[in-house]
Amino acid sequence: MTNKRSIILFWALFLVPTLIMAGAAAKLLFHEQERINRSALTALTQRAESIAESIHLTVETVKDNLIRSLEGIRPEKPDQILPDWAENNPLVRNVFIFKDNLVYPVQGPASTTEERRFITRYDALFSGRVPFKAILEEKGTGLKQADLHPASEYETRNISRKQLLTLSRSAPEVRAPAESKSEALMPDQQFGPESGWLPWFFENQLHILIWVKASSSGPVYGLELELMTLMSRLVAGFPAMTDNNASLVLMDGSSQHFHRFGTMNLPGKAKPAAQIAVSPLLPHWQMAAFMDPKGMGPGNGFLILSLILVGIFIVAIFSGGLLLTRMTLRNIRDAEQKTSFVSSVSHELKTPLTSIRMYAELLLSGRIRDGAKKETYLSVIMTESERLTRLINNVLDFGRLEQGKKTYRITGFDLDTVLYQIIDAHKIRIKEKGLDIIITGIREGGCRIHSDRDALEQVILNLMDNVLKYADKGRFIKFILGKEPDGTFLFKICDDGPGIPESHKEMIFEKFYRIDNSLTAARPGSGLGLSIARKIMRDLKGDLYYEPMENTGACFTARIKDHETR
Amino acid sequence: MTGLKTPNLFKTMWIVAAFLTAIPAGAGTAVADPAKVICRIEAEREAYSAGDPQNTVLKITLDAPSAPAHVSRPPVNVSLVLDRSGSMNGTKLEQAKAAAIEALSRLGKNDVFSLVVYDDNAHTIIPAQHPEDVNHIAGIIRQIRTGGSTALFNGVSLGAAEIRKNIEKDFVHRILLLSDGIANVGPSQPEDLGRLGAALLKEKISVSTMGVGMDYNEDLMTRLSQKSDGNTYFVESGNDLPRIFASELGDVLNVVARQVRLHITLQGDVEPVTIIGREGRINGRKIELSMNQLYGAQQKYALVEVKLPKSLPGSKMKIAEAEVHYENPFNKTREIAQGISYASFTSDKALVEKSANLGVVREYELNLKALAQEKAIRLSDEGKPLEAAQELKESAVKLEALGNKYQDKDLLKEAEETAKQAEQMEEKGMTTKDRKVLRTQSFQMKNQQKSE
Repeated sequence: MTNKRSIILFWALFLVPTLIMAGAAAKLLFHEQERINRSALTALTQRAESIAESIHLTVETVKDNLIRSLEGIRPEKPDQILPDWAENNPLVRNVFIFKDNLVYPVQGPASTTEERRFITRYDALFSGRVPFKAILEEKGTGLKQADLHPASEYETRNISRKQLLTLSRSAPEVRAPAESKSEALMPDQQFGPESGWLPWFFENQLHILIWVKASSSGPVYGLELELMTLMSRLVAGFPAMTDNNASLVLMDGSSQHFHRFGTMNLPGKAKPAAQIAVSPLLPHWQMAAFMDPKGMGPGNGFLILSLILVGIFIVAIFSGGLLLTRMTLRNIRDAEQKTSFVSSVSHELKTPLTSIRMYAELLLSGRIRDGAKKETYLSVIMTESERLTRLINNVLDFGRLEQGKKTYRITGFDLDTVLYQIIDAHKIRIKEKGLDIIITGIREGGCRIHSDRDALEQVILNLMDNVLKYADKGRFIKFILGKEPDGTFLFKICDDGPGIPESHKEMIFEKFYRIDNSLTAARPGSGLGLSIARKIMRDLKGDLYYEPMENTGACFTARIKDHETR
Repeated sequence: MTGLKTPNLFKTMWIVAAFLTAIPAGAGTAVADPAKVICRIEAEREAYSAGDPQNTVLKITLDAPSAPAHVSRPPVNVSLVLDRSGSMNGTKLEQAKAAAIEALSRLGKNDVFSLVVYDDNAHTIIPAQHPEDVNHIAGIIRQIRTGGSTALFNGVSLGAAEIRKNIEKDFVHRILLLSDGIANVGPSQPEDLGRLGAALLKEKISVSTMGVGMDYNEDLMTRLSQKSDGNTYFVESGNDLPRIFASELGDVLNVVARQVRLHITLQGDVEPVTIIGREGRINGRKIELSMNQLYGAQQKYALVEVKLPKSLPGSKMKIAEAEVHYENPFNKTREIAQGISYASFTSDKALVEKSANLGVVREYELNLKALAQEKAIRLSDEGKPLEAAQELKESAVKLEALGNKYQDKDLLKEAEETAKQAEQMEEKGMTTKDRKVLRTQSFQMKNQQKSE
């Protein structure tokens, strides 16, 4: 059918671009999301780098300051200054003086538990198994740089770091105000002071030893840095991070989390998206960047939101298309039905008119002399004009009903009387079709009802017409009148004709609907009768519905409401 | 010669008077100026049986005076570091907030208060400030809600940063750390936090720790307090928090001596053996200890085991001299108090027996008990609960024997409690609560923390 084909074409034209568009949009969105994720990771990594750099700068400056402070101690006096320093400077965990053997601290009760552990920790160094190795290139370049630019942006912002640097810088001068610098820098000319930063791993933990050898013959002395102080000060000065789908973690050498930036919940097995070494001065320490793999944060929110929008868009297009198709189909059907209606009505009108005209012409020509014949012709004219009237009434009623202009006049009457009158009036037609009339359930005098008599007559007539039209091959037409406890009357007209297929059960009540809609249908009809009957019944607060008979045949039931019952 | 000794000794005073040669030098100055710290040295007994070298215990007691009523106390710089991890939800946090507000109301206009909360990260909620608008600060405290995990290191670091804003000024600096969970972000080893504590002490910042409930790490908390010379508390239920806060603040507001350094010089041929329960240095015949601060009317002491030389009957000797250096926070001067201890030697066994100084013996035994408790914890950690119980049992037996010998109620009560602990441990092993109680008790004993 052309209709179907055009609809398929319409859908094809409509669906294919929509799907292509949706697919393209989704792909673009995923791509965009990936880009956002990538740039978020880059930003995060840069942040990690800048934090790592600031840690490195701080540690380096601390290192340089401490080494310089150590070098500032008069070579012959470290034993007087260093213990005092250890006791008062939080950055100093332990101090030592080493000349062939460990001079200070002394093994035994004169040292504290901490000092005894310190000696054990650096046993390899103090027993001479590991030499004090100067890291020469660290001097010169790194040494001055950090201090030359003390007012970097980060430092001015960060009080904690400033305090830390003060701590590393000022200590020995404060403790030993008598020391004069010129004296301190006097060590022998050939020997440039050696110094070193010694990262030391003991029991899987990093310890830092800073040492100085001021003269070739002098002792090696120095301190163990208190990393806890260093980190505690750094941690207090770290910028806050509020992201909850990304996190930066400062990890020590054994991958223990030292500090966490951001509030993202990190499960134990979370894998970092990027890792950056913090500083060569703190070997194996890393800044790790974590990103939420599930991506429920604002970053991926973009994708979700966009996908929802695209989804809504596509659903809207589809609904629109569906609605259009539905309306089109409905219009096509309505148009078909109207055409068929006009044809059938014209046909219906023409049939009785032809008969009337033919018999009227015969009578007019004066050739018919036989009185009985004349009478027959006249009665045919009467019957046909009645049929014509009914048809026209239906068409007119249909118009009124459709526009809601039909008015009802409620009067009291006996339903059974009306029924008998109708049956009497149409007895001949029924007999002509060869049907037996069966009437049941009617009680004398118990059928008083208030309703619109004319409208009810029309309903009964339409139902009866229907039976005569479609069930004329049957054996009977049955009228059943009953009454429900609430005073509603049930009126049924049943036959044993072919009945109505199950699939058409409800559609027969639609206007213009005919089971066989072709012009050449065997039965003439407008497709209006049942539609009008149901409309009237419903207008009168009752109903009309169809039930199949047990074996074959149809049964229409009208519920008729008594308008005086209340 | 004077009879001014500890009250325990008054009864036996007249008997041993002839041998009693100890002159508490600090006591003389104390009479003149009651606001000074008194330093006393007492030996385990006054009379020793003459003959071979023998070991004895010296107790060096520092009696802090009450804070003078007419002088304004030194201002305090308190930073409250509050755990708001998810587990604090409910009574614990509510009580902690109520206690913090109560504590706040007790501070004066010259004091400084700051508040740090920590979960995944630490945040300074109230930066260091004078508590002038208490209602405003209390309002901020009331708004604290629980969060995620426990970044304890970060919290303490931020608290210290707030304290440091006023570090140059003449405050009593104190961080109050409250936690109910295991530190799971940042350093979490007791050793590491101990190092942080030790470093903070160098800046004169003490950390007092309050462990709430059964899930906190008592080793970490006591270590942090111990190394920074703060107090430690085991708070079993959130409802105890206001009381503990009040007690802790009572201490903080009542500092009468700071930077307390104790130097003990052994005389003659007396040799040092060991320091009991405290950290210190033994340098030849010199013993050095530091205690940071003393609270009003508090008594702190150090126990030192020494070896007395060979002796002849009827001889007597000076055993040790003690000198305590401290800063008086009221007039900011450095002050010194001294004490001397003597011993005499006799062949009269009964006299030796009678001259025992119960005060010293008791504290010595209680300190040994504290050490036994720590050993019991270690044994239990190593999976030897029976040995742990045995350790406590032995300690209980010793305490009981001593209690019976001197008819001392305190010792008998301790013995009974320890025996009960041992018994329970034998039955059920060491519960988390037991462990916390033992750890806290042992710390409080060794540190002479005033009871809560």
